[in-house]
Amino acid sequence: MSTSALAPSVFSAAAPASSPLRRLLRLTWHYRSACLQVLILQTTLLGLSLGGLSLVGLCVDLLRHALDPSAPAPVWPLQLSPPSSWSSSEQLFLLGALVLAMGSAYGLLSYAHGVQNGRIQHLRLVPELRASVFHKLLRLSFSYYDTSGSASIINRVTSDVQAARSFVDGVMLQGGVLALTLSVYAVFLLRANVPLTFACLGATPLLWWLTLRFSRWARGAYQKTRDLVDEVVRTMSEGVHGIVVTKVFGREAEELARFERRNQAVVDQQQEIFRRASHYSSSVHFSSQVNVAVLLGYGGWLVTQRRISLGDLIVFANVLTQFATQVSAMARVVNTLQESLAGARRVFEVLDAEIEIQSPRSALVPGAGGAPSLSGALRFDGVQFGYAGAAPALDDICLEVPAGSCVAILGGTAAGKSTLLHLVPRFYDVRAGSVTIDGHDVREFDVDALRRNIGVVFQETLLFRQTIAENIAFGHPEADAAAIERAARIAGAHEFIQSMPAGYATMLAEEGANLSGGQRQRLALARAVLVEPKLLLLDDPTAALDPETEREVLGALRRVMQGRTTLIVSNRLSALRFADRIVVLERGRIVEQGTHRQLMALRGLYHRTALLQGIGALEAGAGEALALADEITARGRAEPAA
Amino acid sequence: MTQAVRQPAAALAVKPAVERPSQVAERPLDFSIIRRLFACTRPYGRLRNWLLLLVVLRSVQLPTLSWLTARVISGPIHDRSASGIALGVVAFLSWAGFTAGCFVYRSRYALELGEYVVRDLRRAIYAHLLRLPMSYFKRTEVGRLLGRTVHDVDSVRTGVQDVFFVTVVQAGSMGISAALMAHYDLPLFLVMLVMAPGLWAVTRHFRKLSSAAYRQRSESFARVTASLAESVNGIREIQSFTRQERNAQAFALRIADHADLNMRGARLAAVFQPVLSFNGQFFLALLLVLGGYQVLGGRVELDALIQFLFLSTSFFNGIPIIGEQYNQALTAMAGAERVFRLLDTRPDWQDPPDARDFGRIEGHVEFHDVSFQYERGVPVLSDIQFSARPGESIALVGHTGSGKSTIANLIAKLYLPSAGRVCIDGQDLARMSGSSLHRQIACVTQQNFLFTGTVLENILVGKPDASSAEVEQALDALGVRDLIEQLPAGLHSPVGERGVGLSSGQRQIVCFARAMIASPRVVILDEATSAVDSVTEARVQAALQRLLAGRTSFVVAHRLSTILSADQILVLEHGRIVERGNHEQLLRLGGIYARSYQEFVSSRSIEAVSPGV
Repeated sequence: MSTSALAPSVFSAAAPASSPLRRLLRLTWHYRSACLQVLILQTTLLGLSLGGLSLVGLCVDLLRHALDPSAPAPVWPLQLSPPSSWSSSEQLFLLGALVLAMGSAYGLLSYAHGVQNGRIQHLRLVPELRASVFHKLLRLSFSYYDTSGSASIINRVTSDVQAARSFVDGVMLQGGVLALTLSVYAVFLLRANVPLTFACLGATPLLWWLTLRFSRWARGAYQKTRDLVDEVVRTMSEGVHGIVVTKVFGREAEELARFERRNQAVVDQQQEIFRRASHYSSSVHFSSQVNVAVLLGYGGWLVTQRRISLGDLIVFANVLTQFATQVSAMARVVNTLQESLAGARRVFEVLDAEIEIQSPRSALVPGAGGAPSLSGALRFDGVQFGYAGAAPALDDICLEVPAGSCVAILGGTAAGKSTLLHLVPRFYDVRAGSVTIDGHDVREFDVDALRRNIGVVFQETLLFRQTIAENIAFGHPEADAAAIERAARIAGAHEFIQSMPAGYATMLAEEGANLSGGQRQRLALARAVLVEPKLLLLDDPTAALDPETEREVLGALRRVMQGRTTLIVSNRLSALRFADRIVVLERGRIVEQGTHRQLMALRGLYHRTALLQGIGALEAGAGEALALADEITARGRAEPAA
Repeated sequence: MTQAVRQPAAALAVKPAVERPSQVAERPLDFSIIRRLFACTRPYGRLRNWLLLLVVLRSVQLPTLSWLTARVISGPIHDRSASGIALGVVAFLSWAGFTAGCFVYRSRYALELGEYVVRDLRRAIYAHLLRLPMSYFKRTEVGRLLGRTVHDVDSVRTGVQDVFFVTVVQAGSMGISAALMAHYDLPLFLVMLVMAPGLWAVTRHFRKLSSAAYRQRSESFARVTASLAESVNGIREIQSFTRQERNAQAFALRIADHADLNMRGARLAAVFQPVLSFNGQFFLALLLVLGGYQVLGGRVELDALIQFLFLSTSFFNGIPIIGEQYNQALTAMAGAERVFRLLDTRPDWQDPPDARDFGRIEGHVEFHDVSFQYERGVPVLSDIQFSARPGESIALVGHTGSGKSTIANLIAKLYLPSAGRVCIDGQDLARMSGSSLHRQIACVTQQNFLFTGTVLENILVGKPDASSAEVEQALDALGVRDLIEQLPAGLHSPVGERGVGLSSGQRQIVCFARAMIASPRVVILDEATSAVDSVTEARVQAALQRLLAGRTSFVVAHRLSTILSADQILVLEHGRIVERGNHEQLLRLGGIYARSYQEFVSSRSIEAVSPGV
């Protein structure tokens, strides 16, 4: 049963509708034999530790009987008394040897127990669960990522998986061990003396109840503390982030006061916790002392009545302390149960999430098995699209991009520019209408094959903490050094890579922090070029760059675009100058399209934007630009101040 | 054994479980740090002294409870005296009750003391950070530093609230148990004592191994999360370049690696526990055989043996606990050392003690032979000389790294010049108080940084005591009141972390309002590079003109329209002013400015925009 290939089927259960509890039980069942081993070991350990304790009692009784023959004779367990010819000291040595032997056995078995327990958790459950959650995450569609924050997604693979697995070892195993321990102790004590057992343990349920109540309260309270502490840390890091603002406005005192309020809120919140926690832990201690007092009083009286032996009493005292430690174990199991259910719910949510974008049954794979490779003629036909539950972000989009040509899309924020791009590689699917490449609906292609034919450059590119070469070869890891360098040259990145300390082997910092914005975008271009895509989608690739870096990147773009169908999105006119045609989007609809000259003549949105960005003015020379600047200034000053 | 229950219950009572990296310093305890930590508790001297008293009391109470138990068993119970038993139980119960009563305050005071010290340290750190000049933030990765400091402060908490006091309790209990055992039977006790160093050595050795293992584990876990975060944030890249399989494989390797380390830790713990308990069993056997033999020979009383059975547990239990505390002390020490190092960072410069305050500033800004360098030997500005008359607008133009922003920073006295003088109204900034300058200066940065809170709170940063009428006045003066009122809750609309919830145009407007309400005499503006959408853009530009009107302004310019409307343009190259004048003068000059302007014009001419035409 140790095949991890089996595991995913267990995790992504056939009946996702069933309750998390039942699925967790099924998960436990999957590891049943390992769990059973742990339980058997635990039982043996219990037996050994009780055996050790009885031997101590026996020893006391032996000594007492030897000193005072009127005291009750020692009772050896299971009628296994040594030959009567043995002297007291010989019996004593035998007992000592037995204690030592049991101690050694206990040590060995408890090692085995620890290792086996760790093996279930660390080598089986957690890696298998994590791998299957991660595996699924990589395949989930973008719409899933849109609706869940990245922190929450990361938590599902890390802490939620841990919480879910704690059901197996923290709830089922620990619960089993607890039940076993308690019943063994109870039986042991009851066998010694029934009324004494009840007298000593009578208050235990009350203690459990108290513990449960407290720990449930404390969990909420601690959560609140953690939130408040997070708030303190956030305030601190935000303050550091905005230190310039604080300094320039000279608001250090106000900022410190702002921080101080949050800092004090933590202390205020903690006071109540401290008060209750100290009362609680003190009363738990006291109650175990009361048990000892009952034992001394009632048990002592029983000894005087010769109903139990002195040795029994000592054993009782020791078992009682062991019993007391189980109180917190019980509270832990109950809390773990709640946490594991919550964690499991979030884990199962990922495992059950539907992969919206999938390849059809008989998918087209361009260039494979005699199928023609793509020429790259792109067409949008009456496309409508909206994000889950939202109003349409795109409506009635009809657009034709002939193979090898370049179309630019211009529009303000939320005009739907990027959304339009995302429909081509099926990051999302259209709501109505169709997107076709070479006359085939994109939904007819194999998704992976489709995406391999499309190169995408985003506004801000994520570079990975690998070497520059590995980052360029991201979409085609087997590419050789020559191909990587060729791509870098086309993207205008070769020169700066050469000047890096280790050239192509330079490690990038997290998110490429050791590169400038322009360098990052050129690497992104090289990455896209390397896969030799027929279609190139550029999602505002220069938006985050200053004008001079923008010029460098745009220069590289011209080479990259050669021989490919290109769709470029921007709200800067400077980025649109290579386009054969320009499309202006507003609120999800195409409002203008044509060449630059046609659009300027239209005197519409495009014209207005051009004026603002200074391009229109420049065509007519500086004079008009000055006039424009004056116009803006004048407008600013002329409007009434009140 | 009577206090075996102490552990789990106390664990519940301690503050929320935070994973704290236990970095064990390789050096012994440093007493200067301990003294300084002790000084942190001085404001709470009464609390601390009470706690100390309670802790000493407890160190007596715990072993005496064990002693009482054994005493009752080996005395009245052994002698079958019912009245003796009753008396013993009453004595035991009242002593236990008193102990519990003290314990309430012992744990509460410790927790409170720790919390107070932590609060004070956090405040001290933040206050200190706010005092440090900008140069510190430029060379330090403060974000990362803060993350670590938060951990460090937390380990200091453990040091303050636990280490010392728990050690006192345990050492006291051990001492008293030892004394009692020695009193009952010295030779037997000496035999027991031989065990102690072994137990101590085992504990220390294990702790060392386990904290090394812990460090490895947390490093490997950091790798797991980093790789995970990278994949989640890069899901667009992964899916568009169809890298799912490969990334899944790489991640599986990371998890397997982490799992192995976890397993190693589990194995280590699985060895240590049995070794400890075996130690106990060995000791028990020894006690039974040796002690029992003596009892049989009549050389030792049976009640002494029973006392040993109870007292030895409370003696030996202390050893691993103190070992653990020692470990925590080292962690706390390392944390405290880093915290103190941060608090001891000397500011590069401060206002001189005799700094004078500015009166109302007219706005006459002059640079006299100003040079500046962030790092020694790398000049950023050299021989900067210019003068801006009150109300003039100055555009700073030049390539990235030419020194534009540095000039702005020097005017705001975020840095002091390495040589030369920056004067406002003829006063050298170095001799004036920063606070009086900052009340009359405003700055709009490229990031348009906003604090979490509401729009109103952010505007009030410019003038915390402004009335609502003043806020409205400022918005009207900028001509943007309608834009703010359009927000879901108007002025009270929430602003998320780093301005989330507002568009970039709206953020800019709020920043303008914040500057406006401060009614500054000098305005510094680092123009945003990324364009907002066209409609808002026009409003933003108009508001900007109104903000700058009538004030001396310095604009790090990216936009042609801004440059064109400036009274003075300073063209910077490699930290020097190479050309100056207004647009027309500079064009006539035919230098760098004129050339790049021509280049700019031609690169955006109609032929370039649509090559096909």
